[in-house]
Amino acid sequence: MKYTVTHRTRYRYSSGVALCHNEARLLPRRAPWQLCQDSRVAIEPRPALSAEREDFFGNRVLYFAIQDIHHGLKVEVVTEVHVLANRPFEPSSPSMPWEQALRLLRESPEPEIIEARLFALDSPFVSLAPEFRAYAAPSFWPGRPLLDATIELNRRIYQDFTYDPHFTTVATPLHVVLKERRGVCQDFAHLALACLRGMGLAARYVSGYLETIPPPGQPRLIGADASHAWVAVYLPGMGWAEFDPTNDCMPREQHITLAWGRDYGDVAPLIGVMTGGGSHQLEVSVDVAPQQELQTEL
Amino acid sequence: MIEASLIQQAEPFQTGNHLLADYPVAASGYDEMCSMPGELRPHWQALTEILENIGGAELERRHAEVQRLLQTDGVTYNTYDDPQDSQRLWRVDTIPLLMTGEEWTSLAAGMEQRSRLLDALLADLYGPRRAIRQGWLPTELVFGHPGFLPACHQSLPSGRRWLIFHAIDLARGPDGVIRAYGDRAQSPSGAGYTLENRILLARALPMLYRDAPLRRLASFLETERATLASLARYNPETPHVALLTPGPSSPVYFEHAYLANYLSLSLVEGEDLVVRDGRVWLKTLGGLRPVDVILRRVADPLCDPLELRGDSLLGVPGLLQAVRGGHVALANALGSGVVENPGLAAFFPLLCRQLLGEELKLPSLPTWWCGTPQDRQYVLAHLDQLVVRSILPNGPHWEGGRLDGKTRQQLIEQIQSAPHLFVGQESPPLSTAPVLEDGRLTPRPVMLRGFAVAAEDGYRVMPGGLARVSTGLDTLQAALQKGGISKDWWVLAPTPQPHVSLLRQAYGPIVATRDGSDLPSRVADNLFWLGRYSERLDGTARLLREAFGRLLEWEQDNTDERCLDDLLDALKIPVPPVAESARARFFALRQALLAVLAPQSEHPSNVRALFGGMLRTGRAVRNHLGDDSWRLLNRLQHSIQNTPADLGGRQARESLEEYLMLVAAFCGLNYETMPHHQGWLFFDIGRYLERVLRTLDLFKLAFITARHPGLPLWEVVLAITDNLTAYRRRYRSALHPTAIIDLLLFDTDNPRSVGYQLRRLQRDIGRLHRPEKSPYCSAEERLILEAFTALRLADINALATLTHDSTRSSVELTRLLEAIQKPLSGLSEALTHSHFSHAEVPRQLIAMQP
Repeated sequence: MKYTVTHRTRYRYSSGVALCHNEARLLPRRAPWQLCQDSRVAIEPRPALSAEREDFFGNRVLYFAIQDIHHGLKVEVVTEVHVLANRPFEPSSPSMPWEQALRLLRESPEPEIIEARLFALDSPFVSLAPEFRAYAAPSFWPGRPLLDATIELNRRIYQDFTYDPHFTTVATPLHVVLKERRGVCQDFAHLALACLRGMGLAARYVSGYLETIPPPGQPRLIGADASHAWVAVYLPGMGWAEFDPTNDCMPREQHITLAWGRDYGDVAPLIGVMTGGGSHQLEVSVDVAPQQELQTEL
Repeated sequence: MIEASLIQQAEPFQTGNHLLADYPVAASGYDEMCSMPGELRPHWQALTEILENIGGAELERRHAEVQRLLQTDGVTYNTYDDPQDSQRLWRVDTIPLLMTGEEWTSLAAGMEQRSRLLDALLADLYGPRRAIRQGWLPTELVFGHPGFLPACHQSLPSGRRWLIFHAIDLARGPDGVIRAYGDRAQSPSGAGYTLENRILLARALPMLYRDAPLRRLASFLETERATLASLARYNPETPHVALLTPGPSSPVYFEHAYLANYLSLSLVEGEDLVVRDGRVWLKTLGGLRPVDVILRRVADPLCDPLELRGDSLLGVPGLLQAVRGGHVALANALGSGVVENPGLAAFFPLLCRQLLGEELKLPSLPTWWCGTPQDRQYVLAHLDQLVVRSILPNGPHWEGGRLDGKTRQQLIEQIQSAPHLFVGQESPPLSTAPVLEDGRLTPRPVMLRGFAVAAEDGYRVMPGGLARVSTGLDTLQAALQKGGISKDWWVLAPTPQPHVSLLRQAYGPIVATRDGSDLPSRVADNLFWLGRYSERLDGTARLLREAFGRLLEWEQDNTDERCLDDLLDALKIPVPPVAESARARFFALRQALLAVLAPQSEHPSNVRALFGGMLRTGRAVRNHLGDDSWRLLNRLQHSIQNTPADLGGRQARESLEEYLMLVAAFCGLNYETMPHHQGWLFFDIGRYLERVLRTLDLFKLAFITARHPGLPLWEVVLAITDNLTAYRRRYRSALHPTAIIDLLLFDTDNPRSVGYQLRRLQRDIGRLHRPEKSPYCSAEERLILEAFTALRLADINALATLTHDSTRSSVELTRLLEAIQKPLSGLSEALTHSHFSHAEVPRQLIAMQP
């Protein structure tokens, strides 16, 4: 599937900002199942300097600084992305018993597996506690294939938790999410990570977009889409299998990957530090537009 | 208990002389001075002879002298957990710790190798990660340690060194072997204290230090300076090197100020710096000045709120990006805290072979990392003999053998639930060294901190370092917070070495601006507030002194005491309700006044709190005050801290008297010694702005709002401003309000008068640096002009009738005082806006703390 993804962020400040430094993780990363054209980036006011680099996790980071007094900031990134039909894993893919995954993770001398152990540890937004393991454990009975167990955990989160955009903020602790059983995609992703890591598995946070399909007969609303988040669990020697606990599915063509890391803190789309500014207003709009016409041309 | 066992096994030392008599050497264990009871190690022979000649009593006297020098120089080590007494005096033992040149040469080779190893490890961990991918280091040990900062991945341009300064904690075990106990790699402290110890001891004990056969420290410090300069990409001849400090609240701020002075670096805080155009700049009164190299003493995670901890106010937004661009060099590189992890010690022998192709020379304290199943089993099985330590920065430790059943079980559970966060370490008894106690030498366990600095080829190791009397379990910081004692560590040379003064050698050509326009804006801000607090303390102490004085006179001579109510008003102390008897009133007033002086009082007139403001701002500008001014500040602190909590009225007055003298001396010395450039101008403006506002308040009180207007109150006003004598000499008459107004309002030659104060402010403000030359007045110039003009246009005749036509005159006076006061109250803000505003604190677009 081919998309034109447009992500617009707009800040308005109540007083002038003299200087700001920012980092955007808004350039979709390339993956075997995802091809990206060059992004068109428009930043207003024009940054005095900007630089792109790859971070520790391989994400594309755009640093920019604005050095003249400004009262607002607009960042627009437009990318054409081609998401291939097949991800490395789907629900019916064969997988190893989860205990074997654990053993390989601990014992294998393969450099790739050794490094993946990073994703089995605590991270700033996902601190491990026995209650997450306790929540996950019923899905992980002895000898059960890892994919089966994770699909079930993913479904339980989907069924047990209520999507509530007004309940949590970035700072809401995970145990509150677990207790109150509500949150947004970011919370469910963190919760799934805490459960999987609680079982000793390696799992990472994926940020991206989801194409929303309008109800039959209705036009697609431009800008109605939003940033999305899901997780991927590691099968040593085989690769990463993705799960979307907010939608009870394994991501396929509709899931466009932006970046991944240990948790949200590693992949926040836009961060910055500024001098001045007073209070501010934020508007974010995301538009994931399928490109039927282009598909035939290419 | 190490010490107890030592004493029990001790045998008397039979040399017949007093100093070494009864030096109790343990039969087991290792003493640095004696190989066995009564047997000196040969390299101590010469020193002990000199010490014997000096004698115990004289050594004690010299020791007291050193402590006095430390106090007057304000050598402190602060603690965070004790706000009342947040500065602890550095303590130094006068007996050096000796090491032979041969032993040091082999130790230094081991230390040098360890520095190279940690540098190579940092380059690997933030680069190709071979150590992890090849399995030389476990993933969890590195990535599970908060010192590993993913943002620092590949942040250093290739060829740059990660580790510039390195400190290693060392100790000798009973077998005589020196082992490494830990590493400091983010911002290794201690070298400045080492230097200060050496300088002070050489001053107090010249007979010991002059021509002593010990290796001198000067060449090491020269390497430090040269290495810092060599890191600069621009201005290789005259690079601008800054020392980034967390500020006066840091426990080792003394050292930051000291080293900045010694190495001629700009002492800066995070808010002094800004990243623009990819470079780091120092915000000065004269504009932005580029910084080429930063010796940073701020911990890794706090250095850049953009990419590291977003809530840090100590860092510089965009710093890491400036490092990536190669436009600024940091010593040490950001992220180096990852090698402070004590768990790494278990892997050093392998890492050294793999990364350097060498065998590890300097052994570490035997360490087992619990992340490895076999090691974890070993630690749990030998818990009683080991010390368990958390690998987290400043993490706790447990002495396995001393745990009660419950704590022990909890610890075991903690280890099992997150084994990668714990290590077990042996804790062999430390070697002992002689310490002077009550005129005699007594063996005490010691630890060493050695220092290495990068040089063109490898690292240079300081010949000597900091020794400290220790229990062996504490980190240096912890030990000093508990009031530890440090010692000078000597490395002996084959021949006497000339004493090279370490004091203030100028390095390289001096490039300076004469007018002080390169003063950091924050420093100007602090000098302004130092001036305000000094004057506020002075004014408050004057009011209090007068109040206590009147109170005591009333008690003795039954004088008119009604003006005390007005004094209480001036001090903003609630006036006690009308009392039944004079006696009751006396006690109520005394109580109200003493309560303000109580240490815990939060009253705005509490002199301790006011002094706190003075000290805080003073310490923030430590390098801009003269040494004598600094000593006075220390004396004032000493005096205020030693004032007993339960004072009588008379003692209170005496204490206030002393504070006043010291504040006056402090301000006077600043006037006499500080160059009257931009920095001093801000101090002076702060003082006189505060003084004029206080004088106006006093006027208003005495002539407009007084509860008991009249002679006694006017006398009080003259006494407070110290103008009673001046008045009598000039007017030779009884007090008359018009004459008082002339003396204290209009006389532009009387430093206590509003006229003088306004004129001085106008002159100072006119001399302030203005970034852009403009034909128009600045806001602060307009304000002071407005205030001064109001005074000069005042009609003194309209005020002359204060006694007989008080309504009209007091209306006039009120109008005049307000016309002066109003522009002045906007002055502080105008100054802030024009001169300090680039000190605005940056903040995050979105709060990102989990």
